[in-house]
Amino acid sequence: MKKVLAILLAALMVIGLTACGGNNTPTTTAAPQTTAAPGTTAAPTTAPTEAPTEAPVTQGKVFNIYAWNEEFKGFFEKYYTVPEGVTVNWVITPSDNGAYQQKLDEALLNQENAADDDKIDMFLAEADYIGKYVDSPYTMDITSFGFQNVPTMYEYTIKAASDPSGVCKGVSFQCCPAGVIYRKSIAKDVLGTDVPEEVQAKIDTWEKFDAVAAEAKAKGYYMTASFAETFRAFSNNCTMPWVDANNNLQFDPQITAWMDQTREYIKNGYTLTAGVWDQEKTNEMFKTGKTLCFFGPAWYYNFCMTNAQDPAEGCVGDWCLVKGPQAYFWGGTWLLAATGSDNAPMLKDIFETFTVNTDVLNKMVKDDNQYVNNTDVVKAFAEDPNYGNTAILDGQNDIAIFYELAKDIKWENHTNYDQLLNEGLQNKLQEFYNGSVDEETAMLNFYNYIAETYPDIVIPAH
Amino acid sequence: MSKKDSKTLGPQKSVSYAKWGYIFILPFFIVYIVFTLAPQFLTIYNSFFENYRSGLKQIGPNFVGLDNYKALFTADPSGTVRILKYAANTLILWIAGAVPQFVIALLLAIFFTSYRLNIKGQGFFKTVIYMPNLIMAAAFSMLFYTLFSRVGPIQGLLENWGVVDKSFDFFSVRITVRGMIALMNFLMWFGNTTIVLMAGIMGIDQALFESATIDGANSVQVFFRVTMPLLMPIFVYCLITAMIGGIQMFDVPQVLTNGKGVPNEFTRTLVMYLNGYLTTKNYGMGGAISVIIFIITGGLSAVVYKMLSAQYKDPERQHRQRKGNVI
Repeated sequence: MKKVLAILLAALMVIGLTACGGNNTPTTTAAPQTTAAPGTTAAPTTAPTEAPTEAPVTQGKVFNIYAWNEEFKGFFEKYYTVPEGVTVNWVITPSDNGAYQQKLDEALLNQENAADDDKIDMFLAEADYIGKYVDSPYTMDITSFGFQNVPTMYEYTIKAASDPSGVCKGVSFQCCPAGVIYRKSIAKDVLGTDVPEEVQAKIDTWEKFDAVAAEAKAKGYYMTASFAETFRAFSNNCTMPWVDANNNLQFDPQITAWMDQTREYIKNGYTLTAGVWDQEKTNEMFKTGKTLCFFGPAWYYNFCMTNAQDPAEGCVGDWCLVKGPQAYFWGGTWLLAATGSDNAPMLKDIFETFTVNTDVLNKMVKDDNQYVNNTDVVKAFAEDPNYGNTAILDGQNDIAIFYELAKDIKWENHTNYDQLLNEGLQNKLQEFYNGSVDEETAMLNFYNYIAETYPDIVIPAH
Repeated sequence: MSKKDSKTLGPQKSVSYAKWGYIFILPFFIVYIVFTLAPQFLTIYNSFFENYRSGLKQIGPNFVGLDNYKALFTADPSGTVRILKYAANTLILWIAGAVPQFVIALLLAIFFTSYRLNIKGQGFFKTVIYMPNLIMAAAFSMLFYTLFSRVGPIQGLLENWGVVDKSFDFFSVRITVRGMIALMNFLMWFGNTTIVLMAGIMGIDQALFESATIDGANSVQVFFRVTMPLLMPIFVYCLITAMIGGIQMFDVPQVLTNGKGVPNEFTRTLVMYLNGYLTTKNYGMGGAISVIIFIITGGLSAVVYKMLSAQYKDPERQHRQRKGNVI
């Protein structure tokens, strides 16, 4: 018995030791590439350029996609047919505290040394930090694998994915004009009307919006359900970026306007101290919720409003969309082509599926209530008198409203620091709003947070 | 083997097995030097450099001398030296969890090993008290977060009973957040400590307890005069390892507060601070903080060791020393 145990333990130790060093072996054996066309011999070709020009383009067996949530994965699995013999490997890391960027940076910096099947082929990036990747050698020119931008794409989505010299590195599958999504029954009670045009007339400036907030409060409602709900409406209208040319931190008047508004809203009880992604906020979307307005683009329906769609406790059909006090856009997911990908044909295929394949795009609008990045498709829906969103709204043609809003979107004043600065400002101020600290301390914590997160940002004397 | 023995055995060539001992422990030392000692020196080396990443761009390494340490100990405009604040947080959180952990663990260890109580079903209890340690700290923290969040069941219950009003938030009050972290650490570690201390107590000769009882000692006297002095080496070991773990406290407060250390960074520990610098792969500042943590750990361990081992020296040796002094 003892002997058996001893042998077992010894074996375990040996396995443990070899497991550390042996990491490279399986990956190198997986490296040989096979040709995409079935039937051709799977001879390992380390230098694809040697292949004769007529031969089918080589394609790696594994297609690696880095993402920070499951949103695109859902559409990908629904609408894209993966070529035979290719496995898609999703690496999903939540973006909180910059975790996704950290993970992605690590992988990209290691891209050159990674085995072909471990290399990132495509990764997703959000408006707040896409610049960091676009303006780097880690993303590749989409024309290098034969994809051409088409005029049906929104101009700003191309600009966002292009480096300063205009080389485009990816595409967006969505366009994200955003508005105010309000509860009809509460609007009726507070404003005496639930007709979109009349509601819009009552909240088309921030002054009017504030006045309605007071009326809502008087009737026992909240204007918004999160202190940060209106943040994007302000921050995406900034006239200057978070840092100037010399990396000095600067506060845009829009950011300070948001801070002023929120301070008042919290003081007067017009909103809640919950963060924009918190459950306390999304619980307000149930039928029993007491909140009039939510701020969001088309992706907000499925990503944030699942409570409103709850069959038992939700309130589908009690919602309408209007422009609100200030036109803005929020977020957006870009698909970027990673340098070193061995699956160029598939990249081209995916980009086409989600930007020009009208069958897929029509379905995405009709079935998934997305606002897709194709002006022809959305225009057709906007002008279609028979189209209406019944998944959440009361059958209103929301695409028509988004279509108008999307015309004004401009891509400017973005920095690589946006995600963590926007997130950090909200997190630190939340402590002021919930009463843990005074505003001065909250701002001090924010400055300390910047110094720690981005040592190269110069913080002005405060 | 003494000389006398080898003489009686005749001119037989002696075989030294000592070198095998060294060969057998060699792998440990190699692994230790490569994976622990070398990185430790590298950390110290790195702490003298400016070395981080801005986006995907590498900045440095540039030699900056002691600038990183200076930055760490510079007060912010409110007059707070942040690293000291975080060090204080860490110690408070650890002590708040460790005091009940050791008191309860000692009590349980004594109950379980007492020949007079002779508790039935020990295996069951030992397993149960060890259970919380098997749960991942992150999962445990998520559980607590879910229980105590603004929309959690505890808040709802207390609101219904009228104990707190709707604006109350467990995570905006210093004592509740710290209390939760201490409670979690206590729950996770008291079972482990109990089992180690039990092993220590069982290593003590039962006859000593019996004879003390026969001599008329009550259980409190037995505990302080017999159990504790003999248990001291194990106890000090437990305390110091627990302290090292405590100074490196990270996962529980990190997950519970989502890395924010709410309220007002009063639950932000040293390692959470270190983790903040990892966003930009800041090896310079990270190294400097690590060195500080190393110094704190070493210093505190030395103090605890000195204090406790001075108080409870091996009684027999103390006795002999005293005799020696008299002579």
